[in-house]
Amino acid sequence: MKFGPKSTVVAVLTASALALTACGGGSNNGGGADAAATALTLGTLNDVRSWDPAQAHVGHLLQPYQAVYDSLLLREPDGKLSPMLATAWKYNDTNTVLTVDLRTDVTFSDGAKFDAAAAKANLDHFKKANGPQMPQLTAVSEVKVVDADTVELNLASPDPSLEYYLSQAAGLMGSPKALETEGIKTEPVGSGPYVMDKASSVKDSQTVFNAREGYWNKDLQKYTKLTFKILADLTARTNALVSGQVDATLLDPKTGKQAEGAKMILASNEVDWQGFLLLDRDGTKNPALKDVRVRQAINYAFDRKTILDQVLLGQGTPTSQPFGKASGAWVEDLENKYPYDPAKAKALLKEAGFESGVTLDVPTYSGIESLLAVLKQQLADVGITLNIGAALANTFTSDVASQKYTSLYFQLFQGEPWVAINQMVSTKALYNPFKNTTPELQAKIDAVQTAGTEAGKAAQEVNKYVVDQAWFAPLFRINQMYYHNDKVNVEPQVQQAVPSIYNYSPAK
Amino acid sequence: MITFILKRLGSGLVVLLTVSVLTFVLLYASSGSIARNILGDQATPEQLLVKEAELGLDQPLFVRYFSWLTHALRGDLGASWFSSEPVTNSLATRIPVTMTMVITAMILIAVIATLIGVAAAVKRGWVDRVVQVGAIIGDSIPGFVIGVILVTVLAIQAGLFPATSTISPGAPLNAWVMSMTLPVIALLINGVTGGAQQIRSAVIKQLERDYVRTLRSRGIGEREILFKHVLRSAAPAGLTVLSLQLIGMLGGVVILESIFALPGMGPLAVTATAQSDLPVVMGIVMYTVVVVIVVNLLVDLLNGWLNPKVRVS
Repeated sequence: MKFGPKSTVVAVLTASALALTACGGGSNNGGGADAAATALTLGTLNDVRSWDPAQAHVGHLLQPYQAVYDSLLLREPDGKLSPMLATAWKYNDTNTVLTVDLRTDVTFSDGAKFDAAAAKANLDHFKKANGPQMPQLTAVSEVKVVDADTVELNLASPDPSLEYYLSQAAGLMGSPKALETEGIKTEPVGSGPYVMDKASSVKDSQTVFNAREGYWNKDLQKYTKLTFKILADLTARTNALVSGQVDATLLDPKTGKQAEGAKMILASNEVDWQGFLLLDRDGTKNPALKDVRVRQAINYAFDRKTILDQVLLGQGTPTSQPFGKASGAWVEDLENKYPYDPAKAKALLKEAGFESGVTLDVPTYSGIESLLAVLKQQLADVGITLNIGAALANTFTSDVASQKYTSLYFQLFQGEPWVAINQMVSTKALYNPFKNTTPELQAKIDAVQTAGTEAGKAAQEVNKYVVDQAWFAPLFRINQMYYHNDKVNVEPQVQQAVPSIYNYSPAK
Repeated sequence: MITFILKRLGSGLVVLLTVSVLTFVLLYASSGSIARNILGDQATPEQLLVKEAELGLDQPLFVRYFSWLTHALRGDLGASWFSSEPVTNSLATRIPVTMTMVITAMILIAVIATLIGVAAAVKRGWVDRVVQVGAIIGDSIPGFVIGVILVTVLAIQAGLFPATSTISPGAPLNAWVMSMTLPVIALLINGVTGGAQQIRSAVIKQLERDYVRTLRSRGIGEREILFKHVLRSAAPAGLTVLSLQLIGMLGGVVILESIFALPGMGPLAVTATAQSDLPVVMGIVMYTVVVVIVVNLLVDLLNGWLNPKVRVS
């Protein structure tokens, strides 16, 4: 092939475009190929409120803390718990005392040593610091130092999620010297793989970390520099990803298409379920909801697959159960318990004496308007009126707690069985504001609490009960659309929209 | 002159005080659920009570307002309920970003709009028609749409600019210039088209006045008439439009700052308001009111300087 004048022009233009991309594109890694391979920049949704480990949260709000704080237990991508700062842990026979053996070779970045006293200081601090996850240690009545590398957690009542919590916010270990100080709110002091570069960090804009020298576990420290770029706006996240400013970030089905056009790689993961929470099951305010046949009719009214494909671009899986696939409480047979059957829905309503119609009131919120319109239509087809009310306000959680809503269309996190039960099933759960229960259900819940490692299996019974009784009308499990470029390998983390910090590695 | 400035500043203080009372009372209604919002949906009722006491939410409105006011008078605007960051700190890091953007855009708008507006008024004919049509097109496209188009074409496809801000501590001037270029252009276009329209009609109006005819009859050159007399008389109209634009821009930058991830006042205002983070919202409202008062005062002074007719005795 000969190069005519035209192709020369094209070549020059392409070359200059490439050169401009390299200097102006805001690429985050200057220097040679080696340096490029060891810097990781992540686009995150918001900055942490306080670096005090007791103020850590769950999911994507946990990730930044993992950069500086090690946790007692490490949660593997598939949910399995492995040793981290704790080398071994064991319950007594009644599941009321958890004995935890600790590493002896770990120091914090301020030089303080990690030992049993430090672990106790952290757990005690967490119990009284009034952080968003404080209930994680509610069951723990006392933390005792047995010897330099052993602590004992005494429980007031068994908590099958405690080991999981020790891999989450409650397990993060900060330097005991810094814990009660003001300083730790803005500058974290932990034993983790990275230390914060305070001078390069700006609140709500970016947080920069450098690898900590002499970190005890080189396997968890895969980068020399780690930057969280805070991009609250979805458009900004999409633009930053496709232009190479960040290596990975969370998008949605629509912006995901754009990212795929730019050859970004999807690491998708089902984290939440979406559907109706039929809260007023005793019929206090909406008498129709007292009848299980009405609640079941609502479940039969939806063509889940078609709605998912049309409205959510197919990003998810239709389901009839509220418990997550990875939780252990998931039951294969419940997946399609309520298929699309308008005739059956109508028959059930007739049987219950509500053929003249049922009204379901739900609040709306930003982003679900078109979905609610479709659901309203499908409910109308079986004789149920969906009354879409005012948008959720920022008083939402208090409104739910004060029984303002008799039903909700919502998206809820699918956590560990005991977490899920305390979120939406037990009488203490926020999403059970009318405190519905029966002796039968309570017995099943109690069985989960004392089941220890068998909690998942025991929770299947709770799952079956709430599905049979149609406490909810689940529609789908939703895909979280986490995208990354080809410079980084990303392993999705079960039950998290955003992977744990250990799940990233440079692509070879 | 000094009395004039003092009077204006005095009335500004009254406005500031009134706005602070109104904002405080309006936000009070939604502060009932603050503890819930901060602690999340798993918090127990006991936790909520502790948090409310910590934030002083158990105090009556009156007590809370006066405590805020006395602290504010000492320069202490409190700390965010959510991040515990002092409000003065947040403002100090964010105001420079927003102000750099707004002031740069304003200066460019003033220069470009004047050039275009005067050209359209003096030349008329096709120049005028192009300016008129351009003004309609420019005015009808919202700034954020222009912003998104600019990012897609110039940042993502051509790679000439960073898609989102690269401003960080110790960032070279270059990073500021590169990060600000696209948002400033997006802000510019609406401002220029709107401003040029106003300046054009003000200049045309002046050119039709008798004094211009008189000046011409005395043999004074067109250039001198335009720059020495017409522009001076047309200036108040132009300045008023520009000052209104600047104040409007404080709202316009909110979306642009989000799209370009610029760490300015916009994203802060949006999150703080959505969360009812009262100390931060109060800080932002105070900042906005101060900007509005200062801009209006400056415009009055400038007008007086340019045009003795409107000068206050």
